[in-house]
Formats: sequence, C-alpha cells, structure tokens
Amino acid sequence: MDLLPQLLANGIITGALLAIPAIGFTAIYAVLRFPNFSVASHATIGAFAGYAANVWLGLPAAPALIAAFAVAGLVGVVSDEVALRPLRPYGALTAAIASIALTIVLENMIRFGFGNDLRGYDLPLVRDWRIAGVRLGPQQVQNLAMALTIMAAVFAGLKFTRIGKAMRAVADNPSLAELKGIDPVRIGRITAFIGMGLVGAGGMLLGLGTSIDPLTGFRFILPIFAAAVVGGLGSIPGAALGAMVVGIGEELSLLVLSPAYKSAVGFLAIVIVLSVRPRGILGERAF
Amino acid sequence: MIHFNRRMFLASATATLAAPAIVRAQAGPVHLGTLTPLTGVGGTYGPSMRDAMAGVVASVNEAGGVLGQQIALTSEDTQTSPEAAVRAARKLIDVDGVSAIMGTWASSVTTAIAPLCWESKTMLFCVSGADSITELPHEGFIARTQPNSKLQIRVAGDFMVGEGAKAMAWIGPQTPFAASSIAILREIADANGGTMEDLIYEADKSTYRSEVDRILLGNPDFIMLGGYSADSTVLLRDIWQAGYEGQIIGPAYAVNQSLMDALPAEVVEGVYTWEGAPAVDSSAYARVQAILGVEDVDPYSAQTYDHANLAILAMAASGESTGDAIRTGLRTISQGDGQTVDNAVDGLAALSGGINYSGASGPCDFDDIGDITGTQFIFKKVEGGAAGDYKRV
Repeated sequence: MDLLPQLLANGIITGALLAIPAIGFTAIYAVLRFPNFSVASHATIGAFAGYAANVWLGLPAAPALIAAFAVAGLVGVVSDEVALRPLRPYGALTAAIASIALTIVLENMIRFGFGNDLRGYDLPLVRDWRIAGVRLGPQQVQNLAMALTIMAAVFAGLKFTRIGKAMRAVADNPSLAELKGIDPVRIGRITAFIGMGLVGAGGMLLGLGTSIDPLTGFRFILPIFAAAVVGGLGSIPGAALGAMVVGIGEELSLLVLSPAYKSAVGFLAIVIVLSVRPRGILGERAF
Repeated sequence: MIHFNRRMFLASATATLAAPAIVRAQAGPVHLGTLTPLTGVGGTYGPSMRDAMAGVVASVNEAGGVLGQQIALTSEDTQTSPEAAVRAARKLIDVDGVSAIMGTWASSVTTAIAPLCWESKTMLFCVSGADSITELPHEGFIARTQPNSKLQIRVAGDFMVGEGAKAMAWIGPQTPFAASSIAILREIADANGGTMEDLIYEADKSTYRSEVDRILLGNPDFIMLGGYSADSTVLLRDIWQAGYEGQIIGPAYAVNQSLMDALPAEVVEGVYTWEGAPAVDSSAYARVQAILGVEDVDPYSAQTYDHANLAILAMAASGESTGDAIRTGLRTISQGDGQTVDNAVDGLAALSGGINYSGASGPCDFDDIGDITGTQFIFKKVEGGAAGDYKRV
C-alpha cells in the first residue's frame, strides 16, 4: 500500500479543521492589530461548551458546534473587554503578552470546573471507510463538511453583509473607516465575538475525533499561529491557505521525518516564510 | 517571658553542639516523609499511597515507636511535577529533617529529587520504573520496589509471544524507556522467529491517524502501546477506526479506568494490560487492605506500605534514626535467612534474632544498585469496559 494518498487525505482534513481557528486568529489580528494568543484557551472553551451541549444536553454534533461558537465568542468578547482592550493603547506587544496571561487564567478556570480528566464526545464510533485504498472516517468527512460550511459562511459574511464590509474597512484603514462613521469599538467587539467563536468551533472540531482536556487548545496554538503567519498575518484567505500548507505539510513530513518531529513542520514553515516572504503567501490584505 | 540574651544563646548553642549526636536526636521524634502524587496525572494513586504509610507509622507509634522514640510523619505532594517535587523535597529535607523520603511515583520526579537525597544522606524509596534511576551515582540511598522498565517490557514481550504474536509492533512517545523497550521487543521477536515494527511519535497530538497508517503497513498482529493515558486514548481510537483486528497490550498506568471511561467499550474490548502485582495472597497485603479499608489494593499503595516498614526496621537494625542508618540497615532486614515478618511492629520485636521482611508488594529483596528482585506481574484483559484478571507470572 502506498502511504502518500492516505497522508494527503489526512493532511487535507487536518488542514481544513485547522483553518477555522486560524481564520478567527487572523481576523482578530486584522481588525484589532495584535496577535491574541488566548485562542488556545478559547479553543478549549469551545471544545468544552460543545462537550456540555453534546453529552449533557444530548445534542448532535452540528447544534453542539453552534453552542461551541456562541460560548467561546461570548467569553471572547467579555475577556477582551476586561483584560485586553484597556491594554491595547499601550501597543501590540503589551496586548499580546496580556493575552498569554489571559489564556493561562481561562485554562485554569476550565480545569477548576471540569477537572483534568479526559472526556470524549458522545458520538457513534464507526469503523473507517476504505475508498480506493484511502482510509476515511465518516466522522472526519462530517467534520470536513462542517468546516467547509463555516468557511463559506465566513467568506459570504465578509463579502456581502454590512458588518463584514465594516470589518474589512477597519482592517484596511481604521482612521478612514472611523471618518466614514464606522465605530471601531463596536466592530472590535463583533470581531472578538466572531473570531473567538470560530476558534471555539475549531477547537470542538479538532477535539471531535479524539478526546478533550484542559490542554486541548494549547496543543493547537503552534499550528494555528503557523497557519496565520504562513498565509499572511491578517489575511483571511491566507489563513485558510496557510492551514492547508501546515496541515498537509505535517502529515507528509512522515514520509521523510520521524513522527516524533511532527511539530517541527510548523516551526519550519514559519522560519521559511519569514525569511523568504515575510508578508506571508497572500500578504496582509484582510480579504 | 524569658529574655534570651546573647550570652544565654551562646551558652545553650555551645551546649547543644557539645552534646553527642544521639542525645540531640532523642530530643525529638524520628522524622519520616512521604512524597506522593496527591494531584496531577498520578493523583489517582497518591492519596492511598500516603495513607498506607500513615497506617504503618500509626501502628508502630502505638506499639511504642522505634529506638524509643515516636515517629513524626510529614506528607507532601509532588503534583506529579518534577519542579513541585523538588520544592517539596527541599522542605522535607531542610525544614522537617526527614531521614527518608518515601513513595515518589513518576520517574521524572524521582530522577529530579534523587540528587537532593543522596547529597543530604536521606534515603529515597520510590515506585518509579525507569532503568536510569538506579544507575544514578546514589551510593545506596535509593531503593525501589517497582520492577525496572527493562524487566517489565521483557515480561510483557514474553506474554505477547505466549499469546501467539508473530508480527509485533511497539508504538509510543519519546520517553526515557522508548529505545530500550524497542530493543528488548526486537530481541524477543528475533529469538522467536517473529518480526517487530516500531514507531516513536510526538506526545500531545490530537490525532495519530497517519502514525497508525504507518505502523499498520507492517500488518502487525500484536501491538504494544508505550505511552500514557492521554495519548493512548487517542491512539486506541485511531487503531480501532483503522479496522485493526489484532491484539493490543498497554501498561496498566496508561490503559486505566479514566481511559476506559473516555472511550466506547468496543474500542478497548480485548485489550491487555499488565503491571507489577502486589502479593495478593500475603498477610502483608491483608494488612494494607485493613489500613485502607478496600478490597483491591493498587500496586503502588502496597509498595509504599513496604517503604514505611522497611525504613523503620532498617533504622532499628542500625540503632540510629538517620538516612545513612536506613541505607546500611536496609539489606540486613529485607533479605537473608532471618524470621519472615510482614510488618514493622512484629519485626521490631523479632529484630534481635534476625528478620527477613516480606511485604505486600512481594519479597522485597534488593540487588546492589537498589533494584527489586522477584516481583510478580499480573496481566488483565478488558472485557465489557472493565479490566479482569487474566494471568499471573
């Protein structure tokens, strides 16, 4: 059996799932102009909110995903208002450092409420399909479909809705947008909600196939950051593309590297992009 | 209120220093310390490990103590973290002045605090398995009741062959015992005309699909898991989804109840686990059952019951309450031709005629570097979401 098609399939699925939180991360960067590393805990919050909706309330995966989006988005807005917005005038670095502190606080709050144990979603587990020698899980295919739907909704929203256009305007030129009557604080809140909501939904999607614990989001911080940087920090299509590069790259690295070094692919991608094309593949234009 | 002036201070300090060490020691109780994982990954085991030791100390104190003194037991938490454990060990050694630290669980924790112990001549009893621990230059200040990982892997490898393994595979994260585990299994496979595949992955990933695809390329019929419970949970699910029909074995500390609760029953059905077995038929085991008030004593609590008994008896045999005395007295009371005893109270009474302590975890005989010999192992098989006894060796 040739491993290449299988690794490609695994990579595409990983990449599509990674794209959701990467888009959230980069959207926040585009509008609020700082890397918000609290995506780690927000991904975990989304995963746990989805878990609560799925296991405690008995909802299927898709409605649970909406719960994950809503809870993570709300926590994102509140934590941004309380901890990050007051610090943003002091510069991107200050806000970024504060977001690292914030993520530690939020992660430990989850630990306090849910404990350290592993938790699995209540989903029927079925054996994988084999299609032309490539192994695909029904759950994976469903996750992929949900990820693509979310991405389509995000792009449609940015392109066609007033709020989407306002977000792009603030991202492109905040002063000019304000002159046109767009309230940057309101747009900032909406971005924090949508961005962290996407991160939360992504956290749940990434956790669906496995089990979750308070460190779930933290494990993805490197690939999420790498995806955003590779695609061009602040570029939303770039984040989706970067996620594909990192996802497929990580899986294909198995052909030449020991699996023990899988995470090195994320670092390697950042180093290559920053030294060859510092603006990322698609540059920093938001959309 | 007494005013303690400089002259009085100097006089009393000089008097204290001038007194023989033995007199000073008798001023207070004998100090022993427990250092178990009360929280963190090992948090499932730590509390009962501590309670087993507290039970031993309480019964010795009730019977009059050791060397004519009561024993003061101080308990600290490793948090299953080397950093936290080092802080706790410093406190036990420097503030509480313990002669022995007993019950460290994770190999990383034991490795981190071991130098503090041998430098301060404090005896360290641990339940950690990494081979490297007893290879440290510890000058006899380490004794472990847990079989080392080489022995554990060898026993499990023989079990796999006995269950009909022809194409063996080992898959696990990078740990201090990954390389030696692979080498031992390969040796066993070669000796039995079988094959052996291995794969070392990165811990803390959310999926191991591609890793599973790669290990299954070799069509293994018996896979050994080399990780801990978080990664083994992900891995077992991926292996099951891939349609693997062969057999699987994992260490009992990884394939534990929390793993079985997190996974659907069909995924873990038929998986084997193994661990060093307590001596369930021994009278010492019955004593631990009574102390803890439980039917099934976990292997680590059985071992720490032995730690406390061994430390107390070794002190009594040397006639001093220091860590050095425990070190020199240990093998006098743990092995040899003396009368077999299963607890410190009986042992103290019979000490003058020579004793051989045989505990709840097994015969408790130590080799030159502090490794245990003669441990039993128990293999369990998961059926209907719970692990049931399968075989003892």
